[in-house]
Amino acid sequence: MKIPAFLRLTIRNVVVNTDMGTMIFMLGLPTLYLFVMGFMFQGIVPTGLQIKQNGLDIPYTTFLAPGIIALQSFTAGNIGGGMLWSDRRWGMFEQIMVGPFRRFEYLLGIICVSIFFAIVGSLIMLAFALAIPVSFNYNLIGVLSFLVTIVMGTILFSSLFLIISGIAKSMQAYQTITIVLFFLLDFASTSFYNITSSTPVWLVYIADINPLTYISNILRDSFIYGVNYQTFTSMGIIFAGMVVLFAISMRVYRNIRSGI
Amino acid sequence: MPENYIEIENLRKTYDGKKYALDGLTFNTGKGEIYGLLGKNGAGKSTSIKIMTTLIGFNSGKGTVAGYDIVKEAAKIRKCIGVVQQEESYDFATVENNFKLAGLLWEVGREERDSRMNELIDLFGLDEIRKKRMFDLSGGQKKRVQVAREFMHDMKVIFLDEPTVGLDPIMRRKILDYIRQKANKGLTVLFTTQNLEEADMICDRIGIINNGMIVEEGTSSQLKNKYGNLRTLTIWAGDESMLSKEQVQNIFSDLSFDQLEVKENVITIITKNLEKNLGKIMSLLSANNIQVERINVENPTLDDVFIKVVQK
Ligand SMILES: Nc1ncnc2c1ncn2[C@@H]1O[C@H](COP(=O)(O)OP(=O)(O)OP(=O)(O)O)[C@@H](O)[C@H]1O
Ligand SMILES: [Mg+2]
Repeated sequence: MKIPAFLRLTIRNVVVNTDMGTMIFMLGLPTLYLFVMGFMFQGIVPTGLQIKQNGLDIPYTTFLAPGIIALQSFTAGNIGGGMLWSDRRWGMFEQIMVGPFRRFEYLLGIICVSIFFAIVGSLIMLAFALAIPVSFNYNLIGVLSFLVTIVMGTILFSSLFLIISGIAKSMQAYQTITIVLFFLLDFASTSFYNITSSTPVWLVYIADINPLTYISNILRDSFIYGVNYQTFTSMGIIFAGMVVLFAISMRVYRNIRSGI
Repeated sequence: MPENYIEIENLRKTYDGKKYALDGLTFNTGKGEIYGLLGKNGAGKSTSIKIMTTLIGFNSGKGTVAGYDIVKEAAKIRKCIGVVQQEESYDFATVENNFKLAGLLWEVGREERDSRMNELIDLFGLDEIRKKRMFDLSGGQKKRVQVAREFMHDMKVIFLDEPTVGLDPIMRRKILDYIRQKANKGLTVLFTTQNLEEADMICDRIGIINNGMIVEEGTSSQLKNKYGNLRTLTIWAGDESMLSKEQVQNIFSDLSFDQLEVKENVITIITKNLEKNLGKIMSLLSANNIQVERINVENPTLDDVFIKVVQK
């Protein structure tokens, strides 16, 4: 049985990344968010945190779950795009480049492993959310827009991390950028909370240019409020962001020489 | 079309646009031959391997590996070579998984993969550490895995960039023997080293590379005859002796040396066939009433050979 080159690389990327640390980062952390934050917030202020939108009352856990699922696109993009960094760092990029592969196949392997992790991760989070339980509405369009958005968001974030992997000169630089991005993008978005009239303006600006805001909103529409005109606008924004970042990442990738 | 050959013609490569890392590199390698590129730090060994393995480009010249053009048929070359790069390279996984992943990437069937892995683990003495994660290994252990892993797949040409650095003498010997066996079965090997003895032990032909070009080339015995037998003999005469060069030259007028230096009471002789002449040297000295306090014999270092080669 012949496995195409990019798929062999994808399988390799999955194997290399299924270690304890990555799993905790990918699944453990969001699970903690989901359960601890979800119940804490809901428990501390049982009624005050009920979120109303489109005239519907939503318990905080139900509001939070799509946000946590949205984070999977960031995490998976980080793991996938970050592979270029670790492969350069540990000499495997050069090793693969002198093996039976073409450059674009390596890139495809990274995109594929990101999507794989994102889909597996978000399905697991979805299952956890259902165990809480949350009150989601399901329909075909919702599920489709969820899948399409997770895939687009993951390509967007893996491109972002490919760019960082391609230009970072040291381990410290790479890790610092990753951690700052992690906090900034995760928390300055609508993944955890709604933007309200009392949110400071500067935070609103950050949230407005943060892809996670749009992804979280789309997923809420998909699972709770129903897909609407606004949902498609957000998807268009994510699509545009994905195209731009992917194009930049291709440029960076093409110019990578061996070694760091 | 020549198969399993390396042909490199007049390669030039500059990284910064000023200094040429390769400056007219030319050599070729026959099927099943072990060709050693011998050179000191910065000579251009790794650069030439990176070019031949299609990892980086170059400024001018041309070359073929296994009959394929290194520019136009790069993808074909990459399908039939093995590369052990100088820098460490491994997957963030256990030793076993590193072998398995290499098998996966090279499309080695499962059974074949496992039997090769076990054979290599056995041969390279990795059994005790096969379940360990790569980053828990010592430098030499990592290197062993890196070299062994490359033999998971079949290939026509293998490039080994200083594969024995950091290995103990027993393992070094084992690896060299293994490479020899493979070459005897038709594998073409390009091997780089800074170690003259090692090159002597394994290489069919050696090219000495300096400043990005081959400055001397030959079989190991040819080179050995030319440079390898040189020994530096230093003789300390009694403290009181003040020797002159003429005086010493007269004493040794029957013998011819590559170099003879005399400074106060120290005589330095560089010569081939020292073993044969040492007795004669000593008896000539004592016949001339020069009291010898201490002697020292040194093998030539690679630098000595280089200095010779470059001065020529
Ligand atoms: N990526 C690079 N960028 C700039 N210059 C480089 C780069 N790689 C090598 N060089 C330069 O090219 C020259 C040849 O280097 P190369 O690595 O080929 O030497 P080498 O013979 O392999 O040395 P060593 O024994 O230390 O491994 C050196 O002057 C080196 O500084
Ligand atoms: Mg080198």
